[in-house]
Amino acid sequence: MATVAATATRRRPRRRRGPGLRARLSSVAWATLAWFAGIVFFFPVLWMVITSFKPEAAAYTSNPKFDFSPTLSEYKQVFSAGMGPFLANSAIATVLSVLLVLALATPAAYALSLRPVGKWRDALFFFISTKMLPVVAAIVPIYLAVREVDMLDSIPTLIILYTAMNLPIAVWMMRSFFLEVPGEILEAARMDGADLRHELTEVVLPVVAPGLAATALICAIFAWNEFFFAVNLTSIRAATMPVFLVGFVSSEGLFWAKLAAAATIASVPVLIAGWVAQRQLVRGLSMGAIK
Amino acid sequence: MSATAAPAQRVATRRPRGAEEAKARRERWARRGPLLPALIFLIIVTQIPFVLTVFYSLFSWDLAKPGSPHWVGLSNYGAVFTDPVFFAAVLHTVEITFISVGIATLLGLGLAVLLDRAFVGRAIVRTLLISPFLILPTAAGLIWKTTLLDPTYGIVNWIIRIFGGTPVAFVTAQPMASVIATVVWQWTPFEMLILLAGLQSMPRDVLEAARVDGASALASFRELTLPHLRSYLELGILLGAIYVVNTFDAIYMVTQGGPGTETTNLPYYIYQRAFLGFEVGQSAALGVVTVVGTLIVASVALRVMFSIFIEDNTAKA
Amino acid sequence: MAEVTYEDVTCCYPGSDTPSVAGLSLDVPDGEFMVLVGPSGSGKTTALRLLAGLEELTDGRIEIDGRDVSGVDARDRDIAMVFQNYALYPNKTVAENIGFALKMQGVDRAEREQRVREAASMLGLEELLNRKPRQLSGGQRQRVAMGRAIVRRPKAFLMDEPLSNLDAKLRVQTRVQIAELQRRLGTTTVYVTHDQGEAMTLGSRVAVLKDGTLQQCAPPRELYDDPVNAFVAGFIGLPQMNLIRLGLEDGHVRLGEERLEVPREIASDAADRGAKEIIVGIRPEHVTVADSAGGEGIAGEVLLVESLGADSYVHASLAGSDTSFVARTEGYDSREPGTNVRLRIDPSRIYGFDADTEERLGAGERSRSGSGAPSEHR
Repeated sequence: MATVAATATRRRPRRRRGPGLRARLSSVAWATLAWFAGIVFFFPVLWMVITSFKPEAAAYTSNPKFDFSPTLSEYKQVFSAGMGPFLANSAIATVLSVLLVLALATPAAYALSLRPVGKWRDALFFFISTKMLPVVAAIVPIYLAVREVDMLDSIPTLIILYTAMNLPIAVWMMRSFFLEVPGEILEAARMDGADLRHELTEVVLPVVAPGLAATALICAIFAWNEFFFAVNLTSIRAATMPVFLVGFVSSEGLFWAKLAAAATIASVPVLIAGWVAQRQLVRGLSMGAIK
Repeated sequence: MSATAAPAQRVATRRPRGAEEAKARRERWARRGPLLPALIFLIIVTQIPFVLTVFYSLFSWDLAKPGSPHWVGLSNYGAVFTDPVFFAAVLHTVEITFISVGIATLLGLGLAVLLDRAFVGRAIVRTLLISPFLILPTAAGLIWKTTLLDPTYGIVNWIIRIFGGTPVAFVTAQPMASVIATVVWQWTPFEMLILLAGLQSMPRDVLEAARVDGASALASFRELTLPHLRSYLELGILLGAIYVVNTFDAIYMVTQGGPGTETTNLPYYIYQRAFLGFEVGQSAALGVVTVVGTLIVASVALRVMFSIFIEDNTAKA
Repeated sequence: MAEVTYEDVTCCYPGSDTPSVAGLSLDVPDGEFMVLVGPSGSGKTTALRLLAGLEELTDGRIEIDGRDVSGVDARDRDIAMVFQNYALYPNKTVAENIGFALKMQGVDRAEREQRVREAASMLGLEELLNRKPRQLSGGQRQRVAMGRAIVRRPKAFLMDEPLSNLDAKLRVQTRVQIAELQRRLGTTTVYVTHDQGEAMTLGSRVAVLKDGTLQQCAPPRELYDDPVNAFVAGFIGLPQMNLIRLGLEDGHVRLGEERLEVPREIASDAADRGAKEIIVGIRPEHVTVADSAGGEGIAGEVLLVESLGADSYVHASLAGSDTSFVARTEGYDSREPGTNVRLRIDPSRIYGFDADTEERLGAGERSRSGSGAPSEHR
C-alpha cells in the first residue's frame, strides 16, 4: 500500500518554467490591440489639445502639421475674449445643481429601496419616463414661463432645470447603491439601539458614500456639458461654457487654433474630474442596478 | 419597522382599533415622506411645462407676428401629421438612435472585453477610452466637424489622401454618417463601462469550471458570459437610447440639421420651429406628439423587454 | 481511469518569496482515492489546481496517465473537477449543466441526453433536470456539481472541499455517497479537505501537507498509529493528541508530579541524538480518568467536561504544572469542574518526538499494522 518514493533516482534536468511562448505572444497581441483602440479613441481629444497650442497658421493646414513651436498665444486670446464669467457661471450652475440633486435624490432613493413605498415600481417608472421625454418638447412653455417670471438669463433657472434633468438618473443610481447595503448591518444597528436618523447617518451613509460621489460625478458631467437649455434660456449674464464655445465659433469660425483652445478649456474641468475619479465613474455607470 | 417590502408581522394585541390604524397611517407616510420632495419637484418642473405645451398646442401663436394667439383647436396637429419634414425627422431620430446605440454597444463590448484582462498600462488605456464621454458634446461636435471631417484640412481626409483615395466632404456628402460617427464616439465609453462592470462581476470559478469541462474561450464567452451580460446590455441600451434620442448638440454643431433636412431629428426640428421660426403653437403640437409617441414606445419596451421592471429587487431584510 | 503523478512539483506565485507548494512528489495509482489534507495555507488547494491546470507550475512535472501534462491547458487534460462553491452555470438548467462538457466534446445530442440521465439517476437528480441552479438547495447543487464530473468518465476526479458548504448532517450523508460512487466507478480521485475526519473516512491513502510540503502519505490507519512527526500526530485524530514538551532524564519524563517511564525505543533514539528534551504525545483514548480516591496516576483537577453521549472528553489540568490533558471516558461523564481526579497513562502508548525537528523518535522499531514498511514521507 505505501509505496516508496523513487524520486531520488529519477532526477531530470531542472527547468525554470514560466508562461509559455504562446501565452506571452498572446498577451503582447492583446496589449497592442488594447493600446491601439485607446489611442484611436483618444486621438480627437489629443488633436484638439495639440491644435490649441499651435500658432494659427500651423493649425489650418491641409496636411496636419506635427512639428510646430507650441505657443500659448491662442489661449491668451481666448481668455481675453472674456471667458471668465462663463467659466464662473458653469461652475456655479454645476455645483449647486449637483448639491440640490443629491439632497432630493438621496431620500427619494431611500424610499424606493430600503424602506419601500408600496408603489415603488410606479414611482421609479415615473422618474425614468420624465427622462425619456425629449426636453425640447417642453422648451417652448419653459421659455415662456421663465420669461413671465423674469427669470431669463439667470443662473437659478439653470440650476432648477439641471436638477430636474439629473434627478431621474440620480434617483436610479442612489437606489441601486442603497440596495447594496447588506441587510444585516441595518439589523445590527437596530439591535444596538440606533433610531432612524442614526441608522442613516452612522450606518447607511458611510456605506453609500462612494455611491454618492459617483452619482455626483455623473450629474456634474451632464450639468457642465449641457447646452440646449443654456443656449436658449441665457444670453449675457448667465451663459455657460458651452454657450461661450458656440459663440466663439460664430465669431472666430475659421480660427481653428483659437477654437481648439476654447474647446480645451471648456472641456478640461470635466476631463480632469473624470480621470481622477475614474473609479467612481465606473461604479456610477454600472450602478450595481443589476442583481 | 423592518426593511422589507411587506409590512412587518404584527403580534395580535388588544390595542384599540383607532390607535392601530393611526400607527399604520403614520408608517405609510414615514415611508412616503422622503420620496415627496423629489417627486413634487420633478412634477412641477416637468409636468407643468408639459401641460402648458398641450395648452399652447391648441393655439396658433407666432411670436413674430403681433396678432394675438387664437384658438385653433386641433388644426396644429393636422399640420404636424401632414408635414413631411416631421416624418423625416422621426425617421432620422430612429435611424440615429438605433445605429448609434447599436454600434456603440458592440464597440463597447469589444473594448470591455479588451479591458477585462490585465495588461501593461491597462489603467492608462481605460483613462484614454473614457475621455470621449467627458468632453463637452459641443466641443466634440466642433472637433469632428473641423479638424477631423473637413474636406481640405481634416485628418480623416488626410489619411484617405495618403491611401490614394479622393477626399470626401463628409459633412455635406455623408451627413448622417458624420453625425452618427460623432455620437458613437461619445457614447461608446459609456456602454463600455457598463459592460465592463458586467464582465467583472462574473464569478471566476464558473469560468474555470467551463475550462475544465473543455470549453474553448469562444464557447465560454458565448455560453456563459453573454447570458450573464444580458441585464447589463439592457441597461446600457436603455440609458444610451434615452440620451441619444435627445441628441441635439452634435446636430447643432456638425450639420445644423442639413444639408436641407437630411439630418434633422425631432429635437432639432422642434428647436427650429420654436426658436428659429417662432411658431409656438406648431412647435408645441410637435412636442406633444413627440412625447406621446416616446411614452408609448417606452412603456412597451420597458415592460416587455427589460427584466429590471419585471423582477422585484427591493431590499430584503 | 489513470495514474496521476506529481514529480517534485513547486509552485511559487509571482511576487511571493515562499512557494505555496514546494517539491511535492506523490504517486496516485489508477483507481485510488487520494485525499490531500492540511490546515489552510498548506498548499493542498494549490496542489489540486496545479493538477487541474488552473495554476502554472514553477518547477517539476505532473503526469496524468503516463503523459506529461505540465504545459497542457486545463481544457485538454481530460479531468473533471468539483469546485468548492460548485461553480454551476447559472443560466443553464441542471441537465445542461451536467451535459455541458459533453457538448464541448461534440458528443451528439442523443448520447448526451442518455448519459446525463444516467448520471442524474445515480445521484437522484432525475426530478430536477429542468431547474436552474438558483432554484436548488445547497445539497442539490452539490450533487449537480458531482453529476457534471461523473458524466464525463474522465481520467481523474478532482474535488476541492466539496462538502464544506453543507450542513453537518448532509455532510456525513454525502461523504458516504461520494465514497460509494468512487468505488463503483473506480475513477482515480484526488480530494482536498481541511477536515481530518473526512480524510480518514474517505481516503485509501491520505497525504498530509503543511506549508506546501508533504509531511506523510499513508493509509489512514498508518497515519493514526504511526505518524512521522508531531504535526501529523497532532493533526490526525479528534480530539487532538495531547502533546507536551518535557525534559528527558534517564529514560523518564516528569508529568505533573509523577515520573513516567518512556518506551525503550524512544529513550534510546533520544539518547542517540543527545536530546535532553522531547515532545511527548498521548492520545486521549489512552488516558483513563479515575476519582482521586483511586490513588494511582497523575493528580489533576477537572477544567471542563465535554459529554457527547457515547463518549465524554475530560479536560483536566495537571497538578504541579500549567499543562492540561484531554482524556476520553465512556458514556456520559457527569464530573464537575474543580473535581480532583487521577489520570492514568498507558506507558506503552506514549509517542515521542524530537523537541527541535518534531520528528518521531523510535519509529520503525514499533510495528502496529505488521507491515513493517516505512510510509512515504520526507
